[in-house]
Amino acid sequence: MHDSSPPAPAIEVEDLYKSYGAVRALNGASLNVIRGEVFGLVGPNGAGKSTLIKAICGVLKPDAGTVSVFGMDAGRDRHAIRRRLGYMPQEPALYDDLSPRENLVFFGRGYGTTDLDRRIRESLELVGLRDRQGDALHTFSGGMRQRASLACALMREPKLLILDEPTAGVDPTLKQVFWRHFHKLKRRGVTIFLTTNMMDEALRCDRVAVIRGGRILVTEPPETIRARGRTRVTLELAGGGAREEEVSGYEEQLPRLLEGYGLSGDVKRISINQPSFEEVVLSMITESRGKPAETGKAPAGGRNGDPEH
Amino acid sequence: MIRNTNAIAIRINRQFLRDRRFLGLSMVVPLILMLLLKYVLGSLPQLTRLGVHISDYAFLVAAFLVHFLAYVLSTIVLVRDRKDGTLARMFVYGFRRREIVFGYVGGYSTIAAVQTALVLILTKYLFDVSLLPDIVPVALTMLALAVVSVGLGVFISNFARNEGQVFPFIPLVIVPTALLSGVAIPIDDLPGLLQWFSYVVPLRYAVSVLAGILQEHRSFSAELAPFLALVGVGVLLLGSASLTLRERE
Repeated sequence: MHDSSPPAPAIEVEDLYKSYGAVRALNGASLNVIRGEVFGLVGPNGAGKSTLIKAICGVLKPDAGTVSVFGMDAGRDRHAIRRRLGYMPQEPALYDDLSPRENLVFFGRGYGTTDLDRRIRESLELVGLRDRQGDALHTFSGGMRQRASLACALMREPKLLILDEPTAGVDPTLKQVFWRHFHKLKRRGVTIFLTTNMMDEALRCDRVAVIRGGRILVTEPPETIRARGRTRVTLELAGGGAREEEVSGYEEQLPRLLEGYGLSGDVKRISINQPSFEEVVLSMITESRGKPAETGKAPAGGRNGDPEH
Repeated sequence: MIRNTNAIAIRINRQFLRDRRFLGLSMVVPLILMLLLKYVLGSLPQLTRLGVHISDYAFLVAAFLVHFLAYVLSTIVLVRDRKDGTLARMFVYGFRRREIVFGYVGGYSTIAAVQTALVLILTKYLFDVSLLPDIVPVALTMLALAVVSVGLGVFISNFARNEGQVFPFIPLVIVPTALLSGVAIPIDDLPGLLQWFSYVVPLRYAVSVLAGILQEHRSFSAELAPFLALVGVGVLLLGSASLTLRERE
């Protein structure tokens, strides 16, 4: 039987504002994350990504607007929400004098995590720090600290994993390992909300929101965002010369375009230069100045299931 | 609550043990300052002519040093926790405000207790003060003062966003403390308004107990009122720190 009810949201952000003095970090941001999806938030530095994450975790008091997580208010019900949360901030936020293991033991005590030893062992194994688990963090590189911080977020086996630039400074091989693990967690029903500056990572998300100036410009699957880009079609004619035209959504537009040319033997070759996802996002950010932002709401009947929480 | 409070106190002590240089300096600095006090002030003929015995003030200065160091240390460390994101992580990982405040008090009080013991021993030998009959009340008073100082540090840390912003708060607290606590000037000699203001200076109560016991040779029971006032200030400060520690920026 088909269930037409909209997918249950894990995170709902509605018209959120936050200023630090004269700087407006969030300027009416709205978005909706569906349970069980991998949701990416992309945007330039200072766009409001980390501020939004802090509001979701309940460590930031917005000036206006609402944030709810699993149907609970992120401010009032923050203690209940945090029990289901794995959080990795942008900065490592661990104690440098202590080893990764000691840090994980300390932070794991907060909610009295059960079976802590096993969870710590598995998390450190996953991030490739098992052999260095006893060394003080100040002897680590930036990337290794990031890995320790990620291990800390993963050890609690949360229902919602919030990661602020989880793979910054991590080598490509390990990045693959992390992403495989994120998708494994997704299959177990874990919702993952992450920020990234790397467009190849955004492409691995189920949906992506683009943020600039504290506003969400668009929330869509990455391939839909990519299709928004204008494709340049170049027709090289047998008799010499070439004609160029830019079209949106070339798969639908191309038959119409070619019809005008009769699609005869005169057309020798069709080359298509499609902009990359990164180029599309960058042009969106550049063109967004002065334009109203989209609401960023999840589509009804989204493509992700609603696993048990 | 106790589990999380202990976890924080243990973590702080573990960090101290790892940072040997910092630990060593924290222990040695008050000792060096006491030595300085002995050899500089003890050699001033003006003080001898006025009939001032430096040894009478040695423990009061020792109390001031313990108060000063514990206050500054706890303020800076908590501000650093806020700046580095570890405080936010503690909140998100289930630590509550009162657990954090009492955890810090527990952790730093251990350090302050060791620091106090070393200062007491050195002061006793340097200034040749007979301390043995009064060791328990003196140590208790110093320990209570150390706890109060950490509570004050945690409370003050709410008003600074980074270590740099802590610095204006150091003289703001320490200069009035030095002037109004009775260490440098007897409280009875202060103008009326300042005498009233001295009631909000925590060190005043510790100085009152120590001066009563060591200078005027009164019993601890006779100094119970200022001692309880010191404990009361501590309870008030820890309560305020628990309520005001910012969980949401």
